[in-house]
Amino acid sequence: MDMNEESSQARKLKCEDSGKCFELLESILDGEIDNSKEMLKEKLAKCQPCFEHFHLEQAIRDLLKNKCTKQALPIELADSIRKQIQEIK
Amino acid sequence: MKSTEFFPIPSYKLTQSLLLNYMSEVQRRKYSQEEKNSIFDGEFMPHIDSMYNFAYRLTFDEDDAKDLVQDTYLKAYRFINSFEQGTNAKAWLFRILKNSFINEYRRKSKQPAKVDYQEVETYYNSDDVDYQSTSDMRAESLKDMLGDEISNALNSLAVDFRTVIILCDLEGFTYEEMSKILDIPIGTVRSRLHRARNLLKEKLQSYAKHMGYKTDEEEE
Repeated sequence: MDMNEESSQARKLKCEDSGKCFELLESILDGEIDNSKEMLKEKLAKCQPCFEHFHLEQAIRDLLKNKCTKQALPIELADSIRKQIQEIK
Repeated sequence: MKSTEFFPIPSYKLTQSLLLNYMSEVQRRKYSQEEKNSIFDGEFMPHIDSMYNFAYRLTFDEDDAKDLVQDTYLKAYRFINSFEQGTNAKAWLFRILKNSFINEYRRKSKQPAKVDYQEVETYYNSDDVDYQSTSDMRAESLKDMLGDEISNALNSLAVDFRTVIILCDLEGFTYEEMSKILDIPIGTVRSRLHRARNLLKEKLQSYAKHMGYKTDEEEE
């Protein structure tokens, strides 16, 4: 989702309801809100704090996904499990 | 996935023994040996990488992680008749792994688990979360971070906070799936996740400052 192209000119600098907005933005990022694309686009175009919060949250999620899922599986583990299953069959 | 396909009654209302009893007595199916092999190889084993990553981030030890994954797969095989073929195998396996960790590994690990856990349970289970309390960190300051900072920040969180981030951000589980894996209500999943991310941001911010990245605070 690329929201970087939006101009910051039109955005308000203070969010009147940042608690609710941030909760909504986090739920959208977690994939918990259906058909959120238009709503999100509009929100980010209008409000600077929401825009910044969204991008920070998104950057953290991307970083986690890209850097923390690569723990190498020990090669013998799958075989060892299959062997033990054979024994209890 | 419909919630009834997983566990039809909220398992956080049951004790572990009742739950096992419930799983094995009420939901028992009878798979042939061939079907068992097909479920095990086709639905369980493809998740071994995610399972190991989860186990390693819970235990921080390769041997403990191996044992934990191995135990989980053996239990999964033993209770295979309470698994409904074609439903959410990954969530089912993660739930077994997380319970095994709590029941067996956490007891012997070096972490001050009991106090830590209860504090988290009583204090942080409140669903009332202030979403406005946020850091002054910026997305740009994360761009140059290498893997180690984020990994260390994640590892430094208390296990309950670490777990929700792993399940949501690394493994992509929905709030509903997480609620079933962790035996907590969805509102608690949401609030714990939010608190976990705030703690993670605090850690990342201190790394960013240490490394000289720009934050709002420093600009002022």
